[in-house]
Amino acid sequence: MEAGGEAAVVELRIPARPEYVGVARLAILGVASRMRFSYDEVEDIRLAVGEACTTAVEWAAKNQRQDTDVLVRSSISESTLTVEIIDDAGERQEPAESANRDPDPESLGALLITLLVDEVNVSSLDGGTRVTMVKHAG
Amino acid sequence: MNFNINARSLNSSIPLIELEGEVDVYTAPQLKQQMISLLEQGHTEMVVDLTKVEYLDSTALGVLIGGLKRVRERDGNLPLICPSARIRRVFEITGLDKIFDIYNSEDEAKSELAGKETV
Repeated sequence: MEAGGEAAVVELRIPARPEYVGVARLAILGVASRMRFSYDEVEDIRLAVGEACTTAVEWAAKNQRQDTDVLVRSSISESTLTVEIIDDAGERQEPAESANRDPDPESLGALLITLLVDEVNVSSLDGGTRVTMVKHAG
Repeated sequence: MNFNINARSLNSSIPLIELEGEVDVYTAPQLKQQMISLLEQGHTEMVVDLTKVEYLDSTALGVLIGGLKRVRERDGNLPLICPSARIRRVFEITGLDKIFDIYNSEDEAKSELAGKETV
């Protein structure tokens, strides 16, 4: 989309609380709709970003860090959208195994992200996590 | 917030939970609460209608799977009504379309469930 080949960047910062995940989804819908993605691909991106934000928000709740923010940074180039979800929600410790637990939405979320975008990378930061997702158009 | 939940009867014995809007990390707890309340009333069969659902995420899937697990423990079932290709796709890519009975309309659910009752 950018004539010079330089990526345009759109950033949104939401409070790490469940009621704001929908705001991030709306924003990414706007960003992805401006690119050469099909209708289904735009939906895939919306769901993947929603899942990544949900995971961040859930870790913020588990770690009692709901007063932190989640940064959604979209880098838009001609045919590639890169979205980084950067939280300050503390360390993501593996949940304790229990036979009576409901299916873990977080692992379902991770599965969905893997299926919906072309590349995904998760890296630990000091006090948080960065999830980088890449989706190619066309 | 763009979300509504309503419980009514599908037929004389089976309740139907109608969802509308976005079922996500913020709103899915209301669905869980509704399902628990119906279980507590002794219902082991309930239908969840996703016809008016515009968005559904893994939190909602987790609640539905949890509900299905609980009704199946009591020999019940939790069929879904989901005519929307977009929402159905979430079940398909996660393989959950093989776990849930999914109908295209309330009428289809009604006749299928009535058929099973007479078997």
